[in-house]
Amino acid sequence: MRLYVDSTKCSGCRACLVACSLNLFQENNPKKAALNLIPHFPAPGVYEMKVCTQCGDCAAVCPTEAIKLNERGAYYVDFDECNLCEACVPECPEDVMYVRAELANAAWKCNLCGDCVAVCGTGALWIAD
Amino acid sequence: MKGYAGSILRVNLATGQISKEPTPAEMARDYLGGRGFGIYQLFKEVPKGADALGPQNKLIISTGPLSGMLIPGGGKCDWTTKSPLTGGYASASMGGHFTAEMKYAGYDSIILEGVSPKPVYLLIEDGKVQLLDAAHLWGKGAFDVEVEFKHKYGEEYQIAAIGPGGENLVLYACINHDFGRQAGRGGVGAVMGSKKLKAIVVRGTKSVEVADPEGYRKAGMALYKACKDAEGLAEWTRYGTTVVTSWCDEVGALPTRNFSAGSFEGGEKIYGQTMRKEIVITDKGCFGCPCPCGKYSHMKRYGTYVEGPEYETIGLMGSNLGIADIQAVGEANRLADDLGVDTISAGNCVAWAMECYEKGILTKEDTDGLELKFGNIEATFALIKNIAHRQGKLGNLLADGVKRAAEKIGKGSERFAIQVKGMEQSGYATHSATSMLLAYMTCDVGAHHNRAWAITYDLQVGRSLVVPEKVARVIWLQNFRPMFDVLGACRLQWVELSIDRDLYVPAMEAITGIHRTWEDMEAVGNRIWNLTRLFWMRENEDFGRSWDQPSPRFFEEPPKTGATAGQITSYEDVQRLLDMYYEQRGWDNNGLPTPATLEKLNLAQIAS
Amino acid sequence: MPATIKAYGMLKTYLHGQNEASVEHGLTIRQALAVLGIPSELVAFVIVNDEQKSKDYCLQDADIVKVMAVMGGG
Ligand code: SF4
Ligand code: SF4
Ligand code: SF4
Repeated sequence: MRLYVDSTKCSGCRACLVACSLNLFQENNPKKAALNLIPHFPAPGVYEMKVCTQCGDCAAVCPTEAIKLNERGAYYVDFDECNLCEACVPECPEDVMYVRAELANAAWKCNLCGDCVAVCGTGALWIAD
Repeated sequence: MKGYAGSILRVNLATGQISKEPTPAEMARDYLGGRGFGIYQLFKEVPKGADALGPQNKLIISTGPLSGMLIPGGGKCDWTTKSPLTGGYASASMGGHFTAEMKYAGYDSIILEGVSPKPVYLLIEDGKVQLLDAAHLWGKGAFDVEVEFKHKYGEEYQIAAIGPGGENLVLYACINHDFGRQAGRGGVGAVMGSKKLKAIVVRGTKSVEVADPEGYRKAGMALYKACKDAEGLAEWTRYGTTVVTSWCDEVGALPTRNFSAGSFEGGEKIYGQTMRKEIVITDKGCFGCPCPCGKYSHMKRYGTYVEGPEYETIGLMGSNLGIADIQAVGEANRLADDLGVDTISAGNCVAWAMECYEKGILTKEDTDGLELKFGNIEATFALIKNIAHRQGKLGNLLADGVKRAAEKIGKGSERFAIQVKGMEQSGYATHSATSMLLAYMTCDVGAHHNRAWAITYDLQVGRSLVVPEKVARVIWLQNFRPMFDVLGACRLQWVELSIDRDLYVPAMEAITGIHRTWEDMEAVGNRIWNLTRLFWMRENEDFGRSWDQPSPRFFEEPPKTGATAGQITSYEDVQRLLDMYYEQRGWDNNGLPTPATLEKLNLAQIAS
Repeated sequence: MPATIKAYGMLKTYLHGQNEASVEHGLTIRQALAVLGIPSELVAFVIVNDEQKSKDYCLQDADIVKVMAVMGGG
């Protein structure tokens, strides 16, 4: 299972980002979300949304093995074991592996909780195999 | 204080002094946020008789408890000031992503005071706040400014900027954000321009704490679920506000040729379905919105892009100018946004000038050579530019709004200047729609629709009826609907998706820790409504009934064509509407709140 | 085949609580609304097979028509 996105449907509302940060950190803070929204305005006037494909590349390089599989079969970051080395960040083909020490003291990524899908009103996000 | 950012940012443009103060708990209790904070602080801080474009006026930007939260449409902020257009209260709501950013940066309100000696912009990065030189940006369009800041600072920064319209003190200049969202009405952009503040750039990375995290998550999710389950979500999202264009045309509410009629023979060319097919490329939403009304458009003929046009702009810059061409309406919209003038007021001014021209009241000499007939697209573009730059005789005249322009030109043109209190009327023709007419007459900023959109009620109960139930409906809407602007959220989820408004109650409680029913919140709405009235009274000695009169067009000149042909509201009925309204509001016969009413609303002290 | 008219919001009251009704194809939507007793003025917009259409649209075989009530507006 993984998250999918159809960027052509995305309206850039960031509801998914708030829901995501609320799940990962119990905080309202879209800057601490694991989806990557890239608006292209004023031209060509489209949103680009990147999501985690659960490819596992980040987990493969993590020296402390902090990126583990959860009961949904998704990779998640065990915050206690992350030492902020940033080895995972360049590995991510979708730019959705985050280390931002000024915002959080561990790396974060999508754990497939599905909350973003629950709030997205445009049907841009869904979970499937 | 849970649910609030906790601080007010005060920026003195004259001295460059920047300070922060805690958000007063009593203000949060009594006025909740958003436009409640706006009017309370305006009333308290701006001295009586202040020049709207002078150093004593303030521009107050406020978020609300629902702003930036997991709440559908929690992306609205309020811009309050003394209006240079009307001389009274102005409050403009702006969507997009600015509000959330401002709240995450830590501010419930930003109060801008004084006048800067030179062009500057305000950069807010959480607690770090600076005024920086904007000489190189002065004169630029709002879109260019936004592009430049996005390049300089990055995608995580949100920008609100004025265009030349604000710099040149066009009295209905707007403030632009996110390539197409505005704080539009009442000249908030002119006030920003008078302070020589070109833009505000903000980035916030903090979180906002809530009283009950689990309850909040549940209530927020329930609101999203209700929106997603709503009948008509897909249809509404496909067309946004333009979905009503064809209906307005059918029932005679679509402003046509300076409101001389309510149906337009070229209507089909500007309907929502035409627009969707011809120019819309992307749905664009405000922060947290599950039902994005923003339609981002590409006008191939002009090679340009705009967010919009939405219904109001289609009405005022389409049918009201006799323009049956959606690409042209889109381009006029883009010009107005980029140059920083409100499309509703500008559309009215151009339409009034067109009528003057066709009637021979204005000639080519007065229009700087423009062949200003209804339907002339190129002349419309040229005139919008002239207005924004205060260029030429007519551009400069119209930059002061339609009321002042008509007073100067005279010759009967005052009878077809479509405005109340000096603010040009938004997109509903009200020859025969008495609640909507009353809503315009009594709206707290001038002829604006959004406080009480009562026109559907007119159609339901009988459009020309003048009965107390209609008046009560308008008052209820005026107390209730603006509460969304107080809470810092969009009302369209309730309005268009008809979600149960009681779903907001547990969300508010979980966020702020205080239980409030809608009745409680409507009581706050009532207090705010009366306080805005007190502001008008304080600033204008002759304020009263005469300020609540509609444009004579709606009681003198029945439309000759369309669904409302031959229909009109009589002058006596107009006055009867006001009589009933004042009585139900607890105001005297001149429309001023009585001492007993003020006492009841706990406003007696602030009034004295 | 008849066309199906689905009513939303307060328009349901005109279908006596039902959500939908069938009408013969060949009628315009305006005519169909009259047959069903739904006041055209209260129908804000009409969606036929997911596209907004005018009330003068002529119903085709097996069309699915959603008629939406006037709502609160901007
Ligand atoms: S975060 Fe990036 S690298 Fe890691 S599983 Fe997701 S897509 Fe792959
Ligand atoms: S919730 Fe949906 S529409 Fe909104 S930003 Fe996320 S993917 Fe885009
Ligand atoms: S309905 Fe429109 S104005 Fe309201 S939040 Fe959504 S996009 Fe913004």
